[in-house]
Amino acid sequence: MSADALQTGLWPYLLVIAFGFLPSEVWRVLAVFLSRGFDERAEVFAWVRAVATTLVAGVVAKILFAPAGALAAVPLLWRLGALALGIGAFFLARRSVMAGVVAGEAALIGAAWWMTGAPP
Amino acid sequence: MDPREPSTRALVLRGVRDALALPAWVVGLSLFAVGSLAGESGFPAGAAVLSTLLIWAGPAQVIFFGGIASGAALPGIALAVGLSSIRLLPMTISMLPMLRERAKGAPLQILVAHYVTVTVWVEALRRLPALPPEERLPYYLGFANACLGTCAVTTYLGYALVGALPLPLAAGLLFLTPTFFTLSLTAGARGASDWLAIGSGFALAPLSTALVGKDIDLLLTGLVGGTAAYFLGKLQRGAA
Repeated sequence: MSADALQTGLWPYLLVIAFGFLPSEVWRVLAVFLSRGFDERAEVFAWVRAVATTLVAGVVAKILFAPAGALAAVPLLWRLGALALGIGAFFLARRSVMAGVVAGEAALIGAAWWMTGAPP
Repeated sequence: MDPREPSTRALVLRGVRDALALPAWVVGLSLFAVGSLAGESGFPAGAAVLSTLLIWAGPAQVIFFGGIASGAALPGIALAVGLSSIRLLPMTISMLPMLRERAKGAPLQILVAHYVTVTVWVEALRRLPALPPEERLPYYLGFANACLGTCAVTTYLGYALVGALPLPLAAGLLFLTPTFFTLSLTAGARGASDWLAIGSGFALAPLSTALVGKDIDLLLTGLVGGTAAYFLGKLQRGAA
């Protein structure tokens, strides 16, 4: 598909709807009909929650272990170290997510700066 | 109605405020990255913003724009987008019952389900149980719409600013998603099953990529790790 075709008329919008929105949204709509009649405390939700939590942790691990783009310029040990620092700061600051994010980000950006020699 | 109960408007605004305190910006930054990807794929800015409003799932949008930029066939892109969004099914199923007190009909539940994305799900699971059931829906809609609105703006900014950031800041941008989700899961973890799920996700993800490749590795990680975490958590609850 040429870049020209993507800039003309309604095509790009239709592509987003047909090949991006619909295949993604179908799961949300299906969930509405599958979750009917279930109680919030039903045992199956404890399992569903565990699966969904594992999925999110899995996505996070994939980004950390095999990152794309600029993050790949920072070595794995530094990425894990910055995350560990963020977790440490989270607990030290009485479980503040904000404090953990700021500490982890500062460590990673500092490391990336030091590795590449480019000022942020 | 009890006059001491907060009004719907106050609840919506509380949701907006909590979202803008941090989560909306974190997911906003990841969609800033999606916007810059879309900017490089040849799509108009309006289509990039529309993808955020409609698809509303970062990984699916990355697959969509990345796939088109790499010249992949459209049906293949749609299948990959669908696979990456399967995770929205268990998330939505586990979250809807918390909002059912006021979201009774199918149209309203479909609207509620549309906002489900990793950030909104993690935050809803952490915040909604603390609210009385009748206060949850307005709070949730305020929270979710603040996230969506912020992201529509950042998608456009990412599109407009593509390539302008120096490497350390770009790396920091990409690091935001793993850091925030790790801490958010940690903050929301209740009981052995949650901790086991977090641990097994981290441990199994690289393993299953090596085993089955990058198309269905997440699915395998979630099903195997999540089921194990559920049963071990149940055993632990039984023993306690």
